[in-house]
Amino acid sequence: MTTRARSKESREPDARGSGARPQQARLVSPRMERQLMQNSLTRMWALLGAIAALAAILVSTATAAHKAVTIVIWTDSDRAAAVTKVANDWATTNGATIKVVTKNFGDIRDNLGTVAAADAPDVITAAHDWTGQLAANGLVQPLYPSKAVRSQFPSYTLNAFSYGTAVKKLYGIPAAVENIGLVVNTKLAKTPTTFKQLETEALAQKKKAHLSFGIAVQQGSGGDAYHMYPFFSGLGGYIFGTNKAGNLDPSDIGVASPTLIKNSGLINKWNKEGLINSVVDGAAAQNAFLKGQAAFWITGPWNSDTLKKSGLSFKVIQMPAIVKPSVPFLGVQGFMVTKYADAHGVGSAATDLVTNFFASPSAQTQLAAANGRPPANVKAKSNDPVLAQFSAASKGGVPMPNIPQMNSVWGDLGQAWVKSTKGAGATPAAVAFKTAARAIADKIG
Amino acid sequence: MSTATAPAPVEEQPPFRPGLIARSIAAFSGTPGFVIKIVLLGLTNALAVWAAVVLVDTSRWIALGILVAATALIDFVYLVPRQWAIPLKFLIPGTVFLIAFEIVPILYTIEVAFSNYSTGHIASKADAIKQIKINSLEAPANGKQYEIAPARDANGKLVLILHVDGASAVYVGTKKGLSPLSKSDVKLDENGIPAAAKGYTLIKGAELFTLDRQLQGFDIPTTGDAAIEPQGVHQAVELQPTLRYDPAHDRFVRIRDGLVYANNGRGSFAAVNHPRDELEPGWKAYIGAANFKKLATSPLYRNPFLRVFIWTLAYATLTVLLSFALGLFIAIALDKKGLRGQRLYRSALVIPYAMPGFLSLLVWGGLLNDQFGVVNRTLLAPFGLHVPWLFDANWARVSVIMVSVWLTTPYFFLVSMGALQSIPAELTEAARVDGGAGWAVFRRVTLPLLLVAVAPLMIASFAFNFNNFNNIFLLTGGGPCSGTSSVACSTDILISYSYKLAIASGKGNDYGLASTVGIVIFFIVASISAFGFWRSKSLENLR
Repeated sequence: MTTRARSKESREPDARGSGARPQQARLVSPRMERQLMQNSLTRMWALLGAIAALAAILVSTATAAHKAVTIVIWTDSDRAAAVTKVANDWATTNGATIKVVTKNFGDIRDNLGTVAAADAPDVITAAHDWTGQLAANGLVQPLYPSKAVRSQFPSYTLNAFSYGTAVKKLYGIPAAVENIGLVVNTKLAKTPTTFKQLETEALAQKKKAHLSFGIAVQQGSGGDAYHMYPFFSGLGGYIFGTNKAGNLDPSDIGVASPTLIKNSGLINKWNKEGLINSVVDGAAAQNAFLKGQAAFWITGPWNSDTLKKSGLSFKVIQMPAIVKPSVPFLGVQGFMVTKYADAHGVGSAATDLVTNFFASPSAQTQLAAANGRPPANVKAKSNDPVLAQFSAASKGGVPMPNIPQMNSVWGDLGQAWVKSTKGAGATPAAVAFKTAARAIADKIG
Repeated sequence: MSTATAPAPVEEQPPFRPGLIARSIAAFSGTPGFVIKIVLLGLTNALAVWAAVVLVDTSRWIALGILVAATALIDFVYLVPRQWAIPLKFLIPGTVFLIAFEIVPILYTIEVAFSNYSTGHIASKADAIKQIKINSLEAPANGKQYEIAPARDANGKLVLILHVDGASAVYVGTKKGLSPLSKSDVKLDENGIPAAAKGYTLIKGAELFTLDRQLQGFDIPTTGDAAIEPQGVHQAVELQPTLRYDPAHDRFVRIRDGLVYANNGRGSFAAVNHPRDELEPGWKAYIGAANFKKLATSPLYRNPFLRVFIWTLAYATLTVLLSFALGLFIAIALDKKGLRGQRLYRSALVIPYAMPGFLSLLVWGGLLNDQFGVVNRTLLAPFGLHVPWLFDANWARVSVIMVSVWLTTPYFFLVSMGALQSIPAELTEAARVDGGAGWAVFRRVTLPLLLVAVAPLMIASFAFNFNNFNNIFLLTGGGPCSGTSSVACSTDILISYSYKLAIASGKGNDYGLASTVGIVIFFIVASISAFGFWRSKSLENLR
């Protein structure tokens, strides 16, 4: 009480002394304040100078980007160097500038829908199975390469990039292809020509190496419908049928096709004998093969360097047919022109870069090599023997469906495999796949 | 006790020496501070000028007004010395960030919840109409493709020299139409692209790409609706529209058979006789409470909701209670004075909290792997045990809670340690003197006092874990799935369930539905937290 009263007293003379402005709230001394008042003109000029300089820089960079023909390309880190080099080869002869922006591969698709028009790319690196989603969102432009260019690509690679419910259009130029194959450790097993042989060899090795599975194919608790597709297609399953116009039909779901259900007893048999086991995830499958325990590994060209370095003697083949050919999913990566290119005034330049230059054999060789995949252009030769074996394993393969409804399939189809091949207590395959088919149909609605 | 009341000996006051922090702040007053201030203010103003240019470009006048007012206010507050402006100096940055990072996202989420923003509906309506027109173009039955070269005629007017793809005919094209050229007058390069034409100057090099806008509109009419349209600078295709937009009725008409695609009011043009046949792309449109209705009525979303909700509640509650119990236990155990290596124990205990959650969750996923994980293989195998940590629904729930507790315990350990030290020793001593046993003292004195400080943090931690997407998604991905749908699996909590519903289902991404679920979750968490805070208020009466 006393201290408070005293402090109040001590303040009062000050407050009276300085007139209207109470002294006690003052943060600067009167001398400094005077100085500041004198400086206020100087500071206004300093501020104005700083604003002018910075605004000039910002506005000039923004407008400079508008004036010259600058093509913005979004690509992933693996390909960034190759894309920069190839695109600049084209740009220097054509008086354009290239700006390459590196993104996570999946972010290219996701960010394209939300990016501000000013920052948007004119050209993107894309996977073919994004085509439906990007085209349905109106984000990419149809392309019309000449007959000469089209004839250099296998027709499935162009189909993979084509989409349209009414009129089917090509939205991307393929650059590289990928698919999984069956890698055989030729020291541990003979290269099988029939599925029966594969089964016998795998089970013999399983027993010898005390493994819990015969074929190293990755699933894990989340499932992996992509790596299981050779088994799925070999048993007569399919994802979407095609309608009369030749388009994928999301209402025709073949996850529980009659052929698959008829042959689903085989899955139960494989589960019982331990040919495949859903406990095996990516790391486990890779380890088992590289350590020389598993004789068979299902993987793709992204592991070709790992395989070469492993020192194992191996061969890559397509998995032998089960009741139908055990074909893999085909993936195609390539380049698309976005709807922003026209707005940026570089539509024709971007179209030219993609349809003519990126499609050329020499560009394709460089672009595909940067990512360790075989090039899509048949005239562009990859002389990598392992990649050639993976290419050969693609025979008859099915491009991953590129319609957006595919989003509803991955999880459920993967889970059907997880449930039916988890060893003891597994769900009968017929039930698991029928459940998955119903859930997918529900989600697509 | 007597020393406290005795008058302190009067000492010569040492010269005032400010602390390190005060001194480092003081170093910024004067010229360096002034320079920093001017640079920061200059940057702010320059950004504002730049933003103003963009806003003027897009004619957003209201936003421009707000921008100018805000910039003027900021400049005034930081430049003109006024007493009343001093608090604003501290308030303004906070307010700006509050608006930018809290209020705008919340308003945006609400806006999206009432729209159909999703795959196929992200464009504006004008863009969608434009894109439908482009997508509807089709090569006519005998349509041709051409290699082209833009050129100037004798008058300097832009024309196209065209060469039929795969044939030998050459033409010159204007906006009026095609006229044939003599084959001998046109030279072609190895790709069939015209390289020279008699009487015309071909446009080459850098100038070519400056023609972009002109080429976009350079359609050479052929028969009927069809026209030859340049695609890039070296190709052109004959195309004809299959759909015609009718702006008066806001609809598309299929030219072939007059089928009408009417605006269905939900961001799409749909065939009148077959409403599911929609033209792509659609646009973002406001659809009222349709997303909320869908969530409440569609069996796909409604059926698993209650099950997922109960599990979410159990998950968040158990995580918080177990972590608190464990953290408190450790804090009490380490509270002993004179314990050796106390600092070492404390540092070691904080590691799970200090490590990035992403990393530890992935590591835990590996540790708990059924056949190859360390837990099953090294720890449990000698006892002949094998636990399907991630493959059995109930064990997966145990794993998820176990890992969450492992991640959360250090937090409660730190908090409890601090809170314990703030409880006056006199109180517990007095309770002991009154004959209280250890447990009774803890339960009746320490715990209630501790809860005053910790209960609000427990509620916050509950709200956090209620929406702890990372823990679930990185450890089990929501699995294993035993029910009929992979949308709601055994360890899915509301947020991972809504992620699966909205981001990885149907036709792709349904941001509208995701925002709707987000709002519903907000109300659930808010009401539980409000109830919790109301209850914890009664604890404060203890003080």
